[in-house]
Amino acid sequence: MEVSFSNEVRMLRLGEGAQFHGEGILAITKALLQSGVAYVGGYQGAPVSHLLDVLVQAHDYLAELGVHVEACSNEASAAAMLGASIHYPLRGAVTWKSIVGTNVAADALSNLSSPGVTGGALIIVGEDYGEGASVIQERTYAYALKSSLLLLDPRPELAHMVRTVEDAFALSEASNMPAVLQLRIRACHVRGSFTAKDNIAPPVSPLHLMAEPAAFDYAKLSHPPVTYRQEKLKHDARIPAARRFIREHKLNEVFVGRPGGLGDIGLIVQGGLYNSLNRALQQLGQADVLGNASVSILAMNVIYPIVPEEISDFCRSKRAVLVIEEGQPEFIEQEILAILRRSGVDTPIAGKDVLPMAGEYTVEVIARGLAAYFSRVAPELAIAAGTAWLDQTTKRRSDVAAALAAPLPARPPQFCIGCPERPVFAALKLVQQDVGPVHIAADIGCHAFATFEPFSMGHSILGYGMSLASRAGVSPMMNRRTLAIMGDGGFWHNGLITGVQSALFNGDDAVLVILKNGYTSATGTQDIISTPDHDAKADAVDKQDSQVHTNRLIEQTLTGIGVKWMRIVDSYRVAEMRRTLDEAFTTDFAGLKVIIAEGECQLERQRRVKPWRAQKLKRRERLVRIKYGVDEDTCSGDHSCIRLSGCPTLSVKESSDPLRVDPVATVLEGCVGCGLCGENAHAASLCPSFYRGEVIQNPDLFERAAARVRAAVIALFQPA
Amino acid sequence: MTNPQLTTPQLTTQLRDAMNPGMPVTILINALGGEGGGVLAEWLVDTARQAGFPAQSTSIPGVAQRTGATTYYVEVYPQTIASLQGRTPILSLLPVPGCVDLVVASELLEAVRSVQAGMVSPDRTMLVASTSRTLTTAEKMSLGDGRFDSEQLLKIAREHSRRLVTFDMERMARDAGTVPSAVMFGAIAGSGLLPFSREHYETVIRQSGKSADASLRGFANAWDAVQGVAAVAAGGDTTSAARETSAGPLAKSALVETEFPMATREFVRLGYDRMVSFQDRAYADLYLDRVRRVVAAEMRADPQALNSHALTRETARFLALWMAFDDIVRVADLKTRASRFARVRREVAAGDADVLRIVDHFKPGVPEMAALLPRGLGARLDRWDRRRQAQGKTPLAMALHLRTDTVTGFLMLRSLAGLRWLRRSGTRYTHEQAMIERWLDAIETAANDDWQCAFELALCGRLIKGYGTTNERGKRNLAHIADQLATGGTFASVSARTTAIREAREAALADEGGKALDRALVEHGAPPRPVVAQPIRWSRPRPVSAAAKPRGVA
Repeated sequence: MEVSFSNEVRMLRLGEGAQFHGEGILAITKALLQSGVAYVGGYQGAPVSHLLDVLVQAHDYLAELGVHVEACSNEASAAAMLGASIHYPLRGAVTWKSIVGTNVAADALSNLSSPGVTGGALIIVGEDYGEGASVIQERTYAYALKSSLLLLDPRPELAHMVRTVEDAFALSEASNMPAVLQLRIRACHVRGSFTAKDNIAPPVSPLHLMAEPAAFDYAKLSHPPVTYRQEKLKHDARIPAARRFIREHKLNEVFVGRPGGLGDIGLIVQGGLYNSLNRALQQLGQADVLGNASVSILAMNVIYPIVPEEISDFCRSKRAVLVIEEGQPEFIEQEILAILRRSGVDTPIAGKDVLPMAGEYTVEVIARGLAAYFSRVAPELAIAAGTAWLDQTTKRRSDVAAALAAPLPARPPQFCIGCPERPVFAALKLVQQDVGPVHIAADIGCHAFATFEPFSMGHSILGYGMSLASRAGVSPMMNRRTLAIMGDGGFWHNGLITGVQSALFNGDDAVLVILKNGYTSATGTQDIISTPDHDAKADAVDKQDSQVHTNRLIEQTLTGIGVKWMRIVDSYRVAEMRRTLDEAFTTDFAGLKVIIAEGECQLERQRRVKPWRAQKLKRRERLVRIKYGVDEDTCSGDHSCIRLSGCPTLSVKESSDPLRVDPVATVLEGCVGCGLCGENAHAASLCPSFYRGEVIQNPDLFERAAARVRAAVIALFQPA
Repeated sequence: MTNPQLTTPQLTTQLRDAMNPGMPVTILINALGGEGGGVLAEWLVDTARQAGFPAQSTSIPGVAQRTGATTYYVEVYPQTIASLQGRTPILSLLPVPGCVDLVVASELLEAVRSVQAGMVSPDRTMLVASTSRTLTTAEKMSLGDGRFDSEQLLKIAREHSRRLVTFDMERMARDAGTVPSAVMFGAIAGSGLLPFSREHYETVIRQSGKSADASLRGFANAWDAVQGVAAVAAGGDTTSAARETSAGPLAKSALVETEFPMATREFVRLGYDRMVSFQDRAYADLYLDRVRRVVAAEMRADPQALNSHALTRETARFLALWMAFDDIVRVADLKTRASRFARVRREVAAGDADVLRIVDHFKPGVPEMAALLPRGLGARLDRWDRRRQAQGKTPLAMALHLRTDTVTGFLMLRSLAGLRWLRRSGTRYTHEQAMIERWLDAIETAANDDWQCAFELALCGRLIKGYGTTNERGKRNLAHIADQLATGGTFASVSARTTAIREAREAALADEGGKALDRALVEHGAPPRPVVAQPIRWSRPRPVSAAAKPRGVA
């Protein structure tokens, strides 16, 4: 990737007493080094991509420190990497986006947690839940429950998050349980400060190698018969050890209600929601900004395992307790109810009966729940101002909705300007005019933006790299061939095995389009095994050219595994792609047909092109800049071109012809000259309005002279 | 809050009045991906830190660089870290509806989106919004005009905020050579809501290194705009087609002035001039004759001109656009004009010293050729082409990339533009005139019954636009509406007929496939449009035979 993280890397080097300033996820990364981590792995995905990206670029420093970093091929390989901590006293950390990444990692996680770990094992998951999430809404909690993983959910304050990482390693070692640290999207991006400590060089590392492997120990295999004993160990030894550690080190925090308040009302909250809870209490007049609340709060920074004594101690002295737990089902609330029933504490517990079962717990959502709860159990609390605020908010929203003639159009993410994937969907839209609508199995990646307007394509998304596999039951039942779309990221993540291998083995008749843009772009343009070489990019004469054709690993792999029908098409050639798709849908060849759409990620290309171009201009060297345009004179105002593209720079504007009523198309500044407009105009026989402007900056003498002669001749025949 | 010389202590005093005591100052930033929102959030937190105040920012960047809507949220606690003596304020990671002091939006629709979400309140929130629109795909892809009404957006923003400040942030950033985030930073600073001096903000920008000067310019302009110092200018653009009129043939004559009603003169004049440039004076006279027919019809329908001659005006508008139909002759003419060359130069921002190459994308096909051929020949060619397509063959067309700026390319197009004389005898001309007559007849007939009905029919002229299939689709839709709803069909009343025409017209602009139009037609008792024949292609996969049994099955 072309982005530089040099500032971030500098923050990682900070020593004892220095002030760290930055985002939550970088603070966590720094905390790993402060904890003496020996190896780090993971698979990219928002909101935790940054952790791995920064560490990959920090390789010089990490080599110096003795920390091994691995960019794993998927979450399963990352989870399996933690196997190093089963036998050896190595602290290891891996990261991925949850819930999806945890799903992929599940097999290895089970096999890791059964024998348990010797060295601390930590999984940093981005809990992609609520606003801004890009995946299905499920909780990671179920995995902690079923595999007996420690689950931490720290208060979102940098110093506290850093301390939690350090605690998590110690807790993992004390209990032999792998630990999961969940971070919500906003916590990953929260910007703050903390006082750094020195990084700890791991005692065993690439710099200090182990001389011998561990002695054979069947008990550390997840293989029967020891798996039966391991299952018992979880309950008999590990969870009790974890609970002891949590109590002794006070990982969970009790904030006693301020004197004169209602300290006998208790709130139990996940640590990650603590700040929102405090603000909700402030809104209801029950707390100040420094966290002095009128009610008592138990903030659980460790949400699994729950410590029964902590719960019963907290609840025993309370008149009523509310559990504030985000997402469904209400695992924590159910366990609290069981704990209290067993321990004979009869404090009434509320939770999902006053708070919504599903969805993000924003300040407003929590405040509404609290208002309902307080009016039930403590009507003496003065919360009138708070409820008035809630009522006004509701009224304001309905006033605005009424004032708007139509709902505001949504603004989902879309393909970047000049994206190489957009033209493929234009071709797909056109080819369906010829062959009829086809079933399209969509996938995870930037190409999922084709599910939005103007393409609105895709029948299902079954997971990353799963598109081809997900049509296996559809194609035998359909009168027409089905299409699967896959990115190169998804292909290597698992599409090669779950999709291609399965389709070949079963002799399936299917069409697969692989969008080969060279990176896992949707997660932040990380490199993959088929990313063009650094040398290829460096040697390119014109830095604007796509370089993905210089790496044919995907094609070689497909040939090797037995794909007989394969076409490689420049993704911007819409007409050619249309013909190739047509051929794939109608050929007599009955096996798997693969079309590789080649075109390098435009984000990466632009990051390369901009400095190159700036340098050329500075040296006054010749440079050709391309920009497309629409002739307003001949634009019909029908906007077919936009319905085939959706490029952010292809927009509409008021026509300057007073006779016309509809706006005309226009190409905005920011066009990178990818050429799709022109390709579409030809492939779809649109209109003759599109032109390509080739601006030659610092032209040579001959060009200048030729241009002058041309202009002079043209002027003789040219009407105004 | 209008004095740019404000210092920190004064600001803090004002602040206490403006806010609930003990609450942090809260700022919500609505940006689009790629506008530098992340840097802006970093700058704000750095400014607070250097000024000695506790601050926190968070964001939902999501897939930020991909132009989706993104938000950044910042809280600053207005007491210095020193005065807090080791206590830390607990800051929220989420904006609280109605409790935001300042919302800054780099795009107008996004500003109103945060109003709709309840973030903006009339008793607390200052809203600084850009007047610029980045249109959403849904707005752009409409067959007509799908743009959301900016006036309505501004009205809502004004009514629901404590104070609304608007200016064009996009243009301001561009003029200063910087990105919208620097402008938004200036707007936040200029609001005076935060306890920092201008010096604090500017120092942070300077520390950011490269392109700091441009950022400072953008910052200063936004500061002024929010403080009410600056004004923003607007500009315009004219097309060659529009220029045909500024000093055209009819502008000099008084013909129009005397004969046509005042309200229609602008369009009639534009129309006349366009016909002269499109074909010749005779064709322009034909245009005038046609408009005269409508004037007469409108006189009968609305003798007192209660509708200010709107029927004639709108018919004159769409008639002019229709009569100057785009064929290769017209396109070649428009593409080679000097005004067009100048406009392209401007649009691609080519400097004086730069050489500009213009590559035009043409794809003339058989119908475009046939259009210029004499009736019999052209019709034969058309039939041949349709037969080929019915057999499932790809339509014959030449995809051309033509360098219009070269002498050869230019002269080729000029010679095509000179083929105007062929047009009158061509098939396309005949066909268009017949269709136009059909539409005008329908308007005249309708005007005998009801002005409104004729007016709705006149507005159906909007359906005629574009080239090739788009143009054919429009004509087909209009013909069907004219036949089935205007002249044919039975309706309980003339107002029912009028409603049917209006709804069908609006439906015709709803989707390309015409599903909405067919629905509207059927609703009003008319038949849906006849299905157009399309070659059927079978691509059923071969059934799996025993020999081809997959390896996975035993």
